[in-house]
Amino acid sequence: MNTSLTRRTFLRTTSATLALPLLESLLPRGAFAAAASGPRRMVCICTTLGINAENIFPKKTGRGYALTPYLEPLRELRESFTLFSGVAHPEVDGGHSSEVTFLSAAPHPKSPGFKNSISLDQFLLEKQPATTRYPNLNLTTSNLQESLSVSRTGVMLPADDKPSVVFRRLFINGTPAEVAEQTHRLAEGRSIMDLMGEEARRLQRRVSAHDGERLEEYFTSVREVEQRLHKSQQWAAQPKPKVAATPPVDIPGTADFAGQTRLMFDLMQLALENDSTRVITFRIQGQQAVPPLPGVKEGWHNLSHHGKDPEKLEQLHVIELEQMKLLAGFLAKLKATQESGASLLDRTSVLYGSNLGNASSHDTMNLPVMLAGGGFQHGQYLAYDPKDNEPLCNLYVAMLRQHGIDAGKFASSKATTLPGFQTA
Amino acid sequence: MLLHRFIVPCLIATAGLTARAAEPAVAPFFQRHIAPFLKGHCADCHDADEQKGNFRVDTLAPDMAKADSVKQWEKLFDKVASGEMPPKKRTRPPQSETTALLTWIETGLKTEGARRQATEGRAQRRRLNRIEFENTLRDLLGADIRVAGQLPEDGTSHGFSTVDEALTLSGVQMEKYLEAVDAALDTALGGTRPPPSTMRRFTYMTLDKSNQFERERFEIGKRLGNSVAIFSSNDVKPPWGIREFSAPVPGRYRIRVKANAYLSRGQPVAFQITSGFFFLLKGAPTQLVGYYSVPAGTPTVIEAEAYVQAARDSFQLLPFGLPKMKVQGGVKEYAGPGLEVHWIEIEGPLDGQQWPPASRAALLGNLDPATATEADLHRLLRDFAPRAFRRPVAEADLAPYLKIASAQLKQGASFEQALRTGFKAILVSPHCLMLDSAPGRLDGYALASRLSYFLWSTMPDATLLAAASSGELADPKKLHAQVERMLAHPKARAFTENFTAQWLALNQIDATTPDQQLYPEFDALLQFSMLRETRGFFDEVLRKNLSVLSFIDSDWAMLNQRLAEHYQLFAKDGTQPVAAEYSSTVAASPLVGGLDVQRVALPPGSHRGGLLTQGAVLKVSANGTTTSPVVRGVWLLERLLGAPVPPPPMNVAAIEPDIRGATTIREMLDKHRAAEQCATCHNKIDPPGYALENYDVIGGFRERYRIIAAEEEPAKTAQGKAKKPQPRFKPGPAVDPSDKLPTGEAFHSLEDFKRLMLARPEPIVRGLTERRLIYSTGHGIEFADRATVAAIVADAKQNNYGFRSLIHAVVRSETFLNK
Repeated sequence: MNTSLTRRTFLRTTSATLALPLLESLLPRGAFAAAASGPRRMVCICTTLGINAENIFPKKTGRGYALTPYLEPLRELRESFTLFSGVAHPEVDGGHSSEVTFLSAAPHPKSPGFKNSISLDQFLLEKQPATTRYPNLNLTTSNLQESLSVSRTGVMLPADDKPSVVFRRLFINGTPAEVAEQTHRLAEGRSIMDLMGEEARRLQRRVSAHDGERLEEYFTSVREVEQRLHKSQQWAAQPKPKVAATPPVDIPGTADFAGQTRLMFDLMQLALENDSTRVITFRIQGQQAVPPLPGVKEGWHNLSHHGKDPEKLEQLHVIELEQMKLLAGFLAKLKATQESGASLLDRTSVLYGSNLGNASSHDTMNLPVMLAGGGFQHGQYLAYDPKDNEPLCNLYVAMLRQHGIDAGKFASSKATTLPGFQTA
Repeated sequence: MLLHRFIVPCLIATAGLTARAAEPAVAPFFQRHIAPFLKGHCADCHDADEQKGNFRVDTLAPDMAKADSVKQWEKLFDKVASGEMPPKKRTRPPQSETTALLTWIETGLKTEGARRQATEGRAQRRRLNRIEFENTLRDLLGADIRVAGQLPEDGTSHGFSTVDEALTLSGVQMEKYLEAVDAALDTALGGTRPPPSTMRRFTYMTLDKSNQFERERFEIGKRLGNSVAIFSSNDVKPPWGIREFSAPVPGRYRIRVKANAYLSRGQPVAFQITSGFFFLLKGAPTQLVGYYSVPAGTPTVIEAEAYVQAARDSFQLLPFGLPKMKVQGGVKEYAGPGLEVHWIEIEGPLDGQQWPPASRAALLGNLDPATATEADLHRLLRDFAPRAFRRPVAEADLAPYLKIASAQLKQGASFEQALRTGFKAILVSPHCLMLDSAPGRLDGYALASRLSYFLWSTMPDATLLAAASSGELADPKKLHAQVERMLAHPKARAFTENFTAQWLALNQIDATTPDQQLYPEFDALLQFSMLRETRGFFDEVLRKNLSVLSFIDSDWAMLNQRLAEHYQLFAKDGTQPVAAEYSSTVAASPLVGGLDVQRVALPPGSHRGGLLTQGAVLKVSANGTTTSPVVRGVWLLERLLGAPVPPPPMNVAAIEPDIRGATTIREMLDKHRAAEQCATCHNKIDPPGYALENYDVIGGFRERYRIIAAEEEPAKTAQGKAKKPQPRFKPGPAVDPSDKLPTGEAFHSLEDFKRLMLARPEPIVRGLTERRLIYSTGHGIEFADRATVAAIVADAKQNNYGFRSLIHAVVRSETFLNK
């Protein structure tokens, strides 16, 4: 009893923003300390058509590497990220099908009986239920609402592809009719769960002890749901944060992925800054269409199967460099946003990579992966054995641990971090 | 896990009580007769030091109420009763001592088990699994409800997902059930109006040259005036998705295809229709609509109705059995057979044709919600609740549901909103979501539910509920008639599908993909046919009341052309069967023609008969690349022979298959069978597995293993794409299916093995009986149930082991009729 009371008091204190400066004053000064005490966030991004290895990976490993063409836009941020090569998900094959396992590492995604497993973001939320208005955001540039996020039961959770819709959900209060409908559903759900709790209790008195256990289980379940609905109700009653940004205008079609990515990145930064959510996945879907970028004449997917044709490689270079510029812009914005003594980037682990190591041959080994921010020791290029890759899930475990989740293992992980990679 | 936590403290509490009460009587007898036996004949190997087989007698408590001591005593009883223990090479105890021990254990287990079953009930209250819940919602709401996919997958226990232990409930699950009910009510009451149904006609004629997908159509398709002949090829991904169509919403659609076989030597051509999204970079999931066959010459119209799962989905045609044409040769010169497609019509969404849906009027009792009153609301809920709860509902029990709906009205909700709230509460209530009954004899309603979820996987219909209400189910003759009626009903298809899916693990048919290099002949039509074969076989045995021993062996089979080809069963005289489809794989004429599975007499030397030789069974018991006698042996013992096998010790590594051909599985396995501690179990496990060694991972008959031929670079096409891997196998070492049973009887083929099995039918029938009792009552077999099982087996023997008779015997058994 005592422990639960203190825990509750503690939770109440920490959830109030007023308490933050107080906590900070108790801890040693410095950005890292502040980063460690504040809320932790995670952003996972996958670009689905690979990144040409020759243009991204430096020759030299460790800290003093020379910037490659694709790392050039990240020059100012080089101390804020780590680049990895020689990582992969063991037993994940099947070319493009591996898009759905980038965050889950479930083996053999192309096999007919394939069943996906829980993704990193969902695992995090399961271990650490969200306290923000939205537990997470799943975003995509795919017009098919394909996401990176997978439920424990292996179901792909749909992603939002329209920035305008997400913006409205995050920052615009609903119309009275919408609010009324939402309020009604939540209140209805709670009252039903209340009633079911009473039903279970009433029934329990009539049945054998053996059956009573089952009703107890039922009772606990309806209580859980009731509490979850209650939380949603509280959020519904609070106004959404006001932001100065103008609502985004969606870009139709599948060609201008760069414009779509920029809108999503802006939205992600706003969502994190206003603490609407702390967990975001973003799938940058490689498309068939020809992107409106200077010098690009062929579809992106065709170009990714370049077969070493120099003309195609040149066009692919334009597309991939544009992606790196967009990423740099996003990271720089996070870095510039301050939150009680730390930058948003220091508190946000940003994973960026691809499910394909070599899109030209549909190879799912040797994935290009970067991790920025999140309070890790950055500035290195860490290269592992290209013939015997390190499990990417080792890095996922390190990310979970940074959230205070003492996960010994996630999916195919074999260790709790990648060799040579540490927290700050 | 969760369950375990609850059970243990409770059982310990009861055990304590029983032990105290029983002590004066039991303890002296135990001390005087039982303990010395255990000490003298068992403790050498089964004490704290040795613990052979993970079993020790020094800690065995004399009371039979503890769950784990019950299991231990049961095990001890079985080992001693069968003569397996004490081991043969030891001094045997005098018969009188053994009998005394066995009688003591038996009495204890029976008395204690019967007492617990009488006071607590054997089966525990359980929730409906997701298939049962979906079916129940569909029947209750009278609409095409599809919610199983959004509910978490259910666990299994004793191999079945109808068993109490497996069907636990969590908050997440509860939330999903709540969402599923919302979605179901949307469908039944009419949520958002679907767009109006349209009908459009497509051909493969349109050609957008800038689109790779459509360009490829004319690499493996040929324009013929107003139609297009489509061919098979490995060189490009089939471009036969109907790109011009995109479903506006998920829902039911009708597809009509006008087509005929082309240049097929007068034979029909088979093809597949699937729905899904075919234009992505990668393969999105697709759903099979069906397989069809069209004759040569006259164009024929095929019509099918399908549920399209996502907006933007389309349909695709795919011919089967055709030779693969080479793109390089050019389609103009190609003279091989194909499927000539004249047009494809797609109509839908069909749900848009009647709006609002008929289920709405039924649920609203034809009332106008604008003028309906609170009294109407109560009347509708009063009608609905007994159907949902599967029994009459007392006014006092109904009151909370009326109250919650009325409260909605008072808060200003509309009549329809209030009604929905009432429905929703009823549908997620423990009365609807869970199967319940009081300890002891089932009342009419509980019996009706048990029957209905057994044979239909859904709620009882009006006829069955009426029989429950009139009490006629207590009359064995009337009960028999109900079972007959239910088995004849189309809903009984659920029994065949769900029971075989779980019993024979057919629900895992997709779990592995046969290695393309080793088994290039495997295709989707073969897998589809395999499932049809096994379900068809099960149905045939059930419908004709054939002996359940047919599952072990039969002189007939259920085959279609694809299976006949696969099993190498050809007509002796070489005459083509009627409507045999074009096939590039065989020159000889198959025993059966066409896509439909039909009963045929097996020719001598067919190597087929019974379940053991069926492709589906052989596929789910293999891993796609290799077979293991251990895996198949365990599979067979547990599922068909009713003899569960203990799990292997943790420190023994699994055998690493080797498809290079250097060593056979037998050479590797024989090593561990030589070790005494492995032999106890493997002498039982391996023989049935070896007997099946002549059957490969896709059920083909083999006399030699297939092994991988030397490594070679995959060929590249002109565009530099890697070609599909070519078959790279060659014949390897010879297969040896011989072994001997633990009794010492030797066999040299599966035929021999089957003969030995059939010489002792009782264990087989007992195993099958237990499986049916577990599935139907939702609970594992306890010691106290053994007498019932034995009675059913004896009864079955009187009826020549007829399958239908066995089901009747199960239904009228004490175990089935009691909680």
